[in-house]
Amino acid sequence: MTAVHNLKVSVSGVRGVVGESLTPSLVAGFAASFGEYVGKGKVVVGRDTRPSGVMFEHAVVAGLISVGCRPVLTGILPTPSIQIAVDELKANGGIAITASHNPADWNALKFIGPSGLFLDHGEAAELLNIYNQPDREYVREADYRLVKRYDNAFQFHRNRIFKHINVDLIRKAAFKVAVDCCNGAGAYYTVQFLEELGCKVVPVFVERDGVFRRKPEPVPENLQVLHEAVKTESCDIGFAQDPDADRLVVMDSRGEPVSEQYTVVLAAEHILSNTPGKVVANIQTTKALELVVKKYSSELFYSRVGEINVSSMMLEKNAIMGGEGSSGGIIWPAVHLCRDSYSGMALMLEMMAARRKSLTEIVASIPEFHSVSAKMNCSAEDALTVLRGLKERYAHLDPCTVDGLRLDWDDAWVLIRPSNTEPVIRVIAEASGQEMAASLVNRFISEIEGLK
Amino acid sequence: MRGRIAEGLTPPVIIDFASAIGTYLDGGKIVVGNDTRISSGMVSSAVFSALMSCGCTVIDAGVVSAPELHFLVPALNADGGILIGAGHHPAEWNALVPLSRSGAYFNSVQMQELLDVYHGRRFSWQRYDKCGKIDVLPPGLSESYVELVCSQLNIPAISSGNFTVIADFCNGSGAHLASLFAEKFGIHLIPINDTLSGYLPHTPEPRPRSSLQVQSMLKVLKADVGFVFNTDMSRVAVVTDSCETLSEEYTFPLVVEHVLSCRAKEESCVVTNGCSTMTLDKIVEKYNGILSKVKVGQAHIIDRMQEVKAVIAGDGSGSIALGSSVPGFDGFMAMGLILESMALKNCGSAELAARLPRYHIIKRKVQCNSGHAYSLLRRMKGMFPDAVLTENDGFRFDWPDGWAHLRASETEPVIRIILEWNSLDGAEDKVLQITGQLERMVSI
Repeated sequence: MTAVHNLKVSVSGVRGVVGESLTPSLVAGFAASFGEYVGKGKVVVGRDTRPSGVMFEHAVVAGLISVGCRPVLTGILPTPSIQIAVDELKANGGIAITASHNPADWNALKFIGPSGLFLDHGEAAELLNIYNQPDREYVREADYRLVKRYDNAFQFHRNRIFKHINVDLIRKAAFKVAVDCCNGAGAYYTVQFLEELGCKVVPVFVERDGVFRRKPEPVPENLQVLHEAVKTESCDIGFAQDPDADRLVVMDSRGEPVSEQYTVVLAAEHILSNTPGKVVANIQTTKALELVVKKYSSELFYSRVGEINVSSMMLEKNAIMGGEGSSGGIIWPAVHLCRDSYSGMALMLEMMAARRKSLTEIVASIPEFHSVSAKMNCSAEDALTVLRGLKERYAHLDPCTVDGLRLDWDDAWVLIRPSNTEPVIRVIAEASGQEMAASLVNRFISEIEGLK
Repeated sequence: MRGRIAEGLTPPVIIDFASAIGTYLDGGKIVVGNDTRISSGMVSSAVFSALMSCGCTVIDAGVVSAPELHFLVPALNADGGILIGAGHHPAEWNALVPLSRSGAYFNSVQMQELLDVYHGRRFSWQRYDKCGKIDVLPPGLSESYVELVCSQLNIPAISSGNFTVIADFCNGSGAHLASLFAEKFGIHLIPINDTLSGYLPHTPEPRPRSSLQVQSMLKVLKADVGFVFNTDMSRVAVVTDSCETLSEEYTFPLVVEHVLSCRAKEESCVVTNGCSTMTLDKIVEKYNGILSKVKVGQAHIIDRMQEVKAVIAGDGSGSIALGSSVPGFDGFMAMGLILESMALKNCGSAELAARLPRYHIIKRKVQCNSGHAYSLLRRMKGMFPDAVLTENDGFRFDWPDGWAHLRASETEPVIRIILEWNSLDGAEDKVLQITGQLERMVSI
C-alpha cells in the first residue's frame, strides 16, 4: 500500500498510518481547520493509549492555539467520555485522537461537534471544505489562549451512567467480572468503574504502556486470554473493550464469547423489557435484534453504518436506544448519544441482577443466528461497479441500499458493503445455520469477482 | 527561523522546520526550551510533535533562558537543542533557533545543511513504534548553570560590594533565576517586570528608550546599577548610578575592559562583528589584545570564539559570551562581570562608564522589503569615494573621524545603518546624508 492510499479522510475522521500518511503537519492542519470551523472557543482533546498519541496531541494543540481556540486536554480517555466531556464542559467541540479498533500502526482524529456528537456527513463536508481552502485564519499572538488540563473528565461519564442504572441492585449481586481492556484507554478506568459497581474484577490487558497485547478488534477470535480468565476464575461475565472503549463484546460464564452482534441485542432485551420504544441499528446488525424488538412491540429502523449515522437517526426518530451490531456498539441516549462500552457493561450487569439469571440463560432465550463475513481487496471504484451490478441482478428482492446493499430473506440476509476506512469490500451473511451463512458468503464473493 | 505569529510562523511551517532539525540530528536527543512569550506554547507543541515524529527523544526544559539552554545541551549530553523565543523582537514575533551538540548556535555549514533538508522536505518520519518521547528535565540543572557562572567570577569580591541592583527582566525567562543569582552573588537584587507571563512591559530590545522604568527607580532606591535584559537573557543594557542608560553598544566594551585588565594574558583574543564601536578597538589596543571581527550574528561570533579560543566575545547589541563559560550570549554573565568590575575597581557604575573612550553611535533603519534591499545596497556602494570600503556582511565605510555600516537585516524587512563619529554633530550630519539618500532611492 502506498502512502497516498492509506490516508482516509471520511465522515469518521482522518485516519492514516503513523509516519507514512498521518503526519504532525497534516494533523495540525486539520486541528486548525476544525478550530476555525467550531469558532474560537474551548475544544476538548483526548486520546487513547497509542504511542503516537502524545505526538499528535501536541500537533492538535499547536493547530488549535494558532486559530485562537483554548485546548482542554483530558489526557488518555475513552472516546465516549471525551464526547460527554464536550457536552458537560460546554465546549465548542472536541477531537478524539484514536484509531479505535484499527491496528496499532494507525492513528486518527475524530471530530466531535458542540453537543458531543461526531460531525455528521454535512458537517464533515463543511470541515473538509475549510481544510481545502488555502488560507487558515490564524490569529495574532494577542488572541492566543492558554492550554487547560482537565484530569478527571471520566467522572462526568461515570456519574451519568450511575444516575440511570440501579447501582444498589448491581452492588448487591456482587458479580465476579473479567475485563479485557486491550491495553487501551479502558486500562485506566474500567477496573475502578466495575469495582464501584460492587464487582470483583479480574483484569486482563490493563498494562498502561500503549502496547496492544492482542489484536485491537474485540471479536471472539481475539479474546482467548479473556476466555481463559473467565473460565479459570469462574467469573459471572466477561467484557472486552477496544482501545478507545467505545465497543463492547461480552462473554458468558463458560467463557463462551457472544458474537459482537449480540451486544446490542442483549441491551435491547433489557431496555425494552422495562420501557418499549423505538430502536435504531445500522444495516449490518443481526436479525435477532429485529425479533427482540418485535417481541416487545417496538419499532426498528435501519441506518447507514457509522456511529454518527445511527445517532442522527436516533435523534430524528426519538429512539430509546440504538447500536451497531457489527461493531459491538451500544448507544443509550439516557447517558449520551454515543457508542459506549461503559453503558453497555452497566446494562448487562443490571439485567443479570434484575432477572437473577446467568448470561448463558439470557442468551439462550434470544433467537440464534450465525454470521459469517469475509473481506476482499477492492478499490472504491470497483466497489461501485459491483454494487450497481448486484442491485440490478437482485432487483426482485427489493434490496436495501441505505449503505452498501442488503438482501433479506425470511431466515437470512447478506450485506455487501465497501469499507469507508480501508480499500476493501466486505461480505456479511447471517442465517439460522452456520453452513447456510457460509455458503451465502461464498456465493456472493464469486459474484463480486465476476462483476469486478 | 523567525517570523511573525499568524503570518510567517504558522504550525505547518514550524513543524516542517523542526522536522528538518529532527531529521538532520538523526532522531537523537534534543533539548527544547522556550522563553515566556505567549506564542511559545504553541510553537513548542508544534516542535514536540515534529521531533517525536522523527523519533527524537525530546527533553522538555520548559521556560529557560538562552544561556541556560546553551549550558543544558552539552550538560545532558544531547545531540542538539532548539531554543524557542523571540529574544529582543517585538510582540507577535517568535523564533526557533537550532543548537548544535556543543550548545552553540548552528555554524554556517550546519545551517546550510539544515536548510537543504528543510527545502528538500524529505523528513525521516518514523513508524508508530519508533515515535520519540518526551522526557522531563532532571532536577538541579538550573543550579548547575548558576554554579558554572559563579565559578567564573570573583564571588567574594562581588558580595563584599554590598550592591543594590535593579534588574528588569521584561517578563522574560531570566526572572526564574533572579533570586538564585541574587543569593549566590550576595547582592540586594530588586527585580522588576519579573513575572513569567510574556506580556511585554516595553520594547524588549535593551536600549535607552526601553530602560525608563529602571532609570526612574534607580535614584529613589539608591541602587548602584541597573540592568535591562531582553526576554531570553541574551542581551543586556546597563543603567548607571547617575541614571544614564548606556547605549547597549557599551555593554560589551565595559566587560572587555574589565576582563582584559584583570584576567587576560598578552595577545588575548576578543571576537566581535564588523559594526561594533571604535571604543572596543581602543580598549583591545590598550591591552595589546587581538580583536577579531566576523559577520553579524551570534553564530559567527561564537564559532570564531571557539575556533581561536578567545577570552571573550560579544557585539553591539548588548551581548557577551565568556570563552570559558557557555557557548552563547549570557546576560547573567554580563551582569556578574560588571559587578565584579565595580567591586574590584571600587568605583561606581557611572565612573566605570566614564573611563571608556566614547564616541557617538547612531543606529537607524530604513523600511525596505528584502528583495529590493540588496540591489539598493549595491547602488550605495560607490556613494562615498572618500571612504575606505570593506565588504563584509554589507558595506562598511571608514573615514578618519568615524565609520558607517549598512546591511540588509536578516530578520526584518529593513536596511540597518550603524554609524559612529567622534562628534555628535558629525554623526548626525552623516546619518542624515545616508538615510536621506536611501529613502529617496526606496521611494523611487
